[in-house]
Amino acid sequence: MVWLPKKNVVVPIDFSDLSFAALDTALDLVDHAADVHVIHVLPLIEPAEPGVIWNTIDDKTRRHHAEGALRERLSEDKYADVSIEIAFGDPGHQIADFAQKRGAELIVIPSHGRSGLTRILIGSVAERVMRLAHCPLLILKP
Amino acid sequence: MQDIPRKSFMIMMLCLAISAQSPWLLAEETRSQATAQVDTSVEPVDDGSASNSTPSGKTGNWMGHLDKLFGDYLVSPLASVLFFDFGTSKWLGASVPLVVMWLFGGAVFFTLRMRFINLRGFWHAVRLTRGDYDDPNEQGEVSHFQALASALSATVGLGNIAGVAIAVATGGPGAIFWLIVVGLLGMSSKFTECSLGQMYRKISSDGRVSGGPMRYLADGLGELGLRPLGVVLAVLFAVMCIGGSFGGGCAFQVGQSLGVIRGRIPVLDNHPYVYGIVMSVLVGIVIIGGIRRIAATAEKIVPLMCAVYVLASLYIIFANFQEIPHACLTILRGAFTPEAVYGGFWGVLVTGIRRAAFSNEAGIGSASIAHSAARTDEPISEGIVALLEPFIDTVIVCTMTGLVIVITGAYDRERFPQYAEMITGDRGAALTAGAFGQVVSWFPWVLAVAVVLFAYSTMISWSYYGERCWTFLFGPRWSLVYKALFLVFVFLGSIITATNVKDFSDLMILSMAFPNILGVVLLSGKVRRRLDDYWRRLSAGELEPRAGA
Repeated sequence: MVWLPKKNVVVPIDFSDLSFAALDTALDLVDHAADVHVIHVLPLIEPAEPGVIWNTIDDKTRRHHAEGALRERLSEDKYADVSIEIAFGDPGHQIADFAQKRGAELIVIPSHGRSGLTRILIGSVAERVMRLAHCPLLILKP
Repeated sequence: MQDIPRKSFMIMMLCLAISAQSPWLLAEETRSQATAQVDTSVEPVDDGSASNSTPSGKTGNWMGHLDKLFGDYLVSPLASVLFFDFGTSKWLGASVPLVVMWLFGGAVFFTLRMRFINLRGFWHAVRLTRGDYDDPNEQGEVSHFQALASALSATVGLGNIAGVAIAVATGGPGAIFWLIVVGLLGMSSKFTECSLGQMYRKISSDGRVSGGPMRYLADGLGELGLRPLGVVLAVLFAVMCIGGSFGGGCAFQVGQSLGVIRGRIPVLDNHPYVYGIVMSVLVGIVIIGGIRRIAATAEKIVPLMCAVYVLASLYIIFANFQEIPHACLTILRGAFTPEAVYGGFWGVLVTGIRRAAFSNEAGIGSASIAHSAARTDEPISEGIVALLEPFIDTVIVCTMTGLVIVITGAYDRERFPQYAEMITGDRGAALTAGAFGQVVSWFPWVLAVAVVLFAYSTMISWSYYGERCWTFLFGPRWSLVYKALFLVFVFLGSIITATNVKDFSDLMILSMAFPNILGVVLLSGKVRRRLDDYWRRLSAGELEPRAGA
C-alpha cells in the first residue's frame, strides 16, 4: 500500500488530550484541513433526566452546546476548515457509520480515550470501531 | 439511521420481559381452577398475614413460593449484616440498628456543624426556589424550582402515605414526634450533601450535568488525599443505590399502591400481578421507549396531588378539630413514655427515624443526583434549596398522614380490629385509605389516584438515580440491562409480600447512608467554609437577586 496524502479522514473526538493529538496527526496526513472530519458522539439521552422531564434539554440544545464547545477548543487557525459532526448513540457504531457515509479513506483514533481505567469493563471504542469500520484505521498509542 | 436496530432491540427487550412472566401466568391459570374454592375462603398468600395459616396445598402457589425465596435468600442474610444492632434488642429492649443511629447522628452533626442552616436558611430557600436569583446563563440543566420538583417527585411517594401509617401502627403515635424531629434535622443533611453534589458535578460537552455521591465521594475525598477510600465508598454507594432503586424506588411503590387500588378494583385481589404488568409497561415505555411525555406529565402533576392530599388531610383533621389537642398529647406522651407494645422509647425512636429517613432520603445521598442539575454557579444556593425537601416531604406531608391516622384512631388495633391484619401485613397504604374512608367515604378514590401518581413518578425518578449509578459502575452501554431489571422488580412488587418488600427496601435505602454520611462528614469542612463565604456575601448584599425580583 502506498502512503499518499489522504483525501478524507475521520477523527473521533471525545475531548481527551489524546483525541486532540490524533487530530493534529490527521492534519499532517492530508493536504487540506477541509479533508479532515471530526465527529463527537454523545450518548442517548435518559428519558427520566430532570432536563428532559422539564424540557430544558433536547438533542438540539445538546448538539448546539457540543458544537460550541468543540469550536472553542479548536479555535486556532489550523483547525478553521475542519468540519464538525455531532452524532448520538453508541460511539463505535456512529463513528463507523459516519466514516462510511463520508466515504472516508482513513480513521485516526487513539487506542485509549477518556475512559482508560474502565476500559476493561466497557471495552474500548477503538476496538469496536476497528471491528465495524469499512476503511483502514490508524490507531495511535499514547 | 441507527434508530432502527435500537428500536427493535427495545421492543425485543419489552417482549422478553413480558413473556418471561407468562409461564407463571399460564401456571396460575391452570392452578386457579383447581384451587378456586380454597382461594375465596382463605386470604391470598401475598398478604403476608396468612403465611402461617397457608394449607399445604397452596405452597405450590407460585407467588407464595417466589416470595419465600425472596425472603429467605435475599432479605434475611442482608438484614443480618446491614441492620446489625449490637444486640440492643436484648439490653435496650428494642433493636436499634447501627445504620439508624448513623443517620440520626449524621443529621445532628450536620445541624450543629452548619450552625442550624435548616432554620436560618429557610426563607432564603423560598426566595431561591421562587426564582429570585435565577440566571439562565449559568451552567446547569434546570432551574432551582425544577430541580427541587424533580427531587421531590422521587421522595414524595408511598413512604409518605404507607410508611408513616406503618410507623404509627407499629411505633405508636409517638413515632410522629420523632418523624418531625428527624425531618427537621434531616434538612441539614440534605443541605450538605446537595451542596457537595453541586461542588463536584461535571458538565459534559453537551451541557448535561452529572453529579451525585459517586462523584463527590470519589473526587472530594481524593482532594483530601483519601482517593482509595473515596472510590471504595463511591462504588459501595452505587451498589446500594441500585438496590435501593429496585426496592424502595420501585417494588415498594408498586406493592403499596396496589394495596390501595385492590380495594377499589376487586379483580386485582385475585390477580395482583396484572397491576405489576400494567405498571411494568407504563414504566417501560418511558425508560426504554423514551416516551417522555407521560413521565413529564406525571411529574408535573405531583405538586398538585401533594396539595390535594394535604388539603384532604387537613379537612379530616379539622373535621375532628375537637380531637386535635388530645391527638397532640397522645403523640407527645407516646414519644417519651410509650406503651411497651410499641417497643418502648427506643423502639418508637427507631421507627420514627427509619420511616423519616426512608421517606425524605436525607443523609441517603440520592437527591444530590437530581439537585446537581440545577442552573447555578453557587453550589451552596442549591444546597439551601434542598433544605425545603425534607420539610415538605416529612414535616408537612408525612405529618398530615400521621395526624389523620392518630385522629381517626386507625392505628388502634383494639378499636378497629379490621385494620389489625393490615398492620401485621405492613400494608400501610391500605391502612391510610381505611382511615381516610372513615371520614369521607369517597376519599379513598382520591387517594387511589394520588397514590398511583406518586408511585409512578417516584419510580421514574428512582430509575434515573439507579441508572446513573449503574452507568457509573458499568458504563453507558449496559444501561439497558439495568432498565430491564428495574421492570422485573416493578413486576415483583405486585407479588412479594409487603413485609418482605418493605424490609428489602429499608435495607438498601438506609444502607446507602453508610458510605454517604461517612464521606459527607469528612467533607463537611469544605461545605462549611463555602457556606460561611456564601452567607457573608449574601448578608453583604453582594449576591444580587434578579432585577425585578
